[in-house]
Amino acid sequence: MHALKLLSAFLKVNLQMSLAYRADTIVNILLNLMWLGWEILSLNIIFSNTQTLGGWGFGELIALLGVFRFVNMMMFALIWPNTEKFNQSIRDGSMDYTILQPVNSMFLVTFSRMVIWRVWELALAVVLIIVGVRLSGETTTPLQILTFGLLVLSGMVIIYSLWIVLIALTFWFTKFDNNVTILHALVDAGRYPATVYPAWLQVIVTFIIPIAVATTVPLQALRGELGLERMTLFFAAGIVSFFIASQVWKTGLKRYSGASS
Amino acid sequence: MLLIFKRLWQVNWAEQWQYRANLLMYLFYWLVSPIIYLAVWSSIATANGNVGGLTANDFTTYYMTLLICDQVTSNIVVHTFGSKVQDGTLSGELIKPIHPMLTNGLASNVAFKALTMMGLAPIWVILFFLFRPDFSQVTAFNVLLAIPAMLLAFLIGYLLSAALTSLAFWTTHIYSIHEFYFALILLFSGQFVPLSLMPPVIQTVAQYLPFQLMMYYPIQLILGKLSTAQILQGYLMTGVWLAISMVLFNWVWRAGLKRYSAVGA
Repeated sequence: MHALKLLSAFLKVNLQMSLAYRADTIVNILLNLMWLGWEILSLNIIFSNTQTLGGWGFGELIALLGVFRFVNMMMFALIWPNTEKFNQSIRDGSMDYTILQPVNSMFLVTFSRMVIWRVWELALAVVLIIVGVRLSGETTTPLQILTFGLLVLSGMVIIYSLWIVLIALTFWFTKFDNNVTILHALVDAGRYPATVYPAWLQVIVTFIIPIAVATTVPLQALRGELGLERMTLFFAAGIVSFFIASQVWKTGLKRYSGASS
Repeated sequence: MLLIFKRLWQVNWAEQWQYRANLLMYLFYWLVSPIIYLAVWSSIATANGNVGGLTANDFTTYYMTLLICDQVTSNIVVHTFGSKVQDGTLSGELIKPIHPMLTNGLASNVAFKALTMMGLAPIWVILFFLFRPDFSQVTAFNVLLAIPAMLLAFLIGYLLSAALTSLAFWTTHIYSIHEFYFALILLFSGQFVPLSLMPPVIQTVAQYLPFQLMMYYPIQLILGKLSTAQILQGYLMTGVWLAISMVLFNWVWRAGLKRYSAVGA
């Protein structure tokens, strides 16, 4: 597979880049562990004062933290570094070289930069989800686990698609450097179940910056709170948003005319 | 000296004004977590009647006041100064016969704050109508008492961050050090939750640290939750920490300058 070969090449290059800064990598992982400690402590503080948060128990919030870490990892390992590179390439015109290559430009823009050490968060996220589900004492069927996984995936695709649309807007508005800040800012809202937020905030995190669709919704499926109709709706939303994003990207690309001309 | 500050203010104001769109985005980014904490804690208080004696309205007023306090007492030294040491642009400032950190750095921080305050004001009003906090316990006297406390706390925070950022003379890991520092603030300032709900150990330690002077103390002061003795104690702690942070900054700064040999020199 062409794409897989490219992907492994990108991985190799980025791994080499991060190995050049070993001390930084170690410090970053330590800081990451520190934040994990803080997250667990803060959940402890919350649950020493209450039994449930928006109807969710301690274990369920640990599981939610796991799902949140998935999304967070995508933000920091892929979206953030590639946005920086993309904005730079629009300003100085190096986007030319990306378009010249005989590969899907959206693919190149997505994967050319990776913060490799963040990969360990994947394992951490899985552990948190398993421990959380155990703690909550809920029984899960294989089917529920499957829908959970698919919903996490489709939620991440929705956020990814939003990102593509946001950076594609730079083709129209060149000075739109802050394109991703709005997405970045609201990610933290994924730490807690959307059901505790006031209605206006729920609308924002579900429909405008759909962070809750990637975090709260899959866990609702795992808890068996989600009907078949809504599940299909969320899957469909994932597919549709990806389709829309790639169309916006193509249309935007046609407007690109380099930085010097 | 006043003229110097006036000029520095004009320059820094103009500079920050250039980046007003960025500032607005920063403001938006910074607003999210207090609003989330507000939502989380007031929902818990509503569900349980109260949390450790605090009602939903107590949490709402707490975080609404925090939005202002944090904006007044926080600083951006690491962003304005850290890179100057790393890329050597500090040299140009060192030639001038004024202290770069205590004049230009201070002016740029205050200009930044003035602008973000302008952005925060309308957002705060909108949030006020969304959350409808009941501020009837707040008296003008308490607000007047809290203003000098917040300004002094800003100075403490500024000097501590400046001392910490001056470590850039020795190490390139300055942003990682600050990340750790931010975690300390989160833990001991009352940013996540009113300190009275924190585990007892953290509360005891927090009493002796400067971080609660930047948030918990002025917020409680404004909300009229402190006795006269507690108010005096807070001002005393502020004085002590101001002295400590001045000495600390001076010491690190002097030692750092001796090590500094600009990049490219």
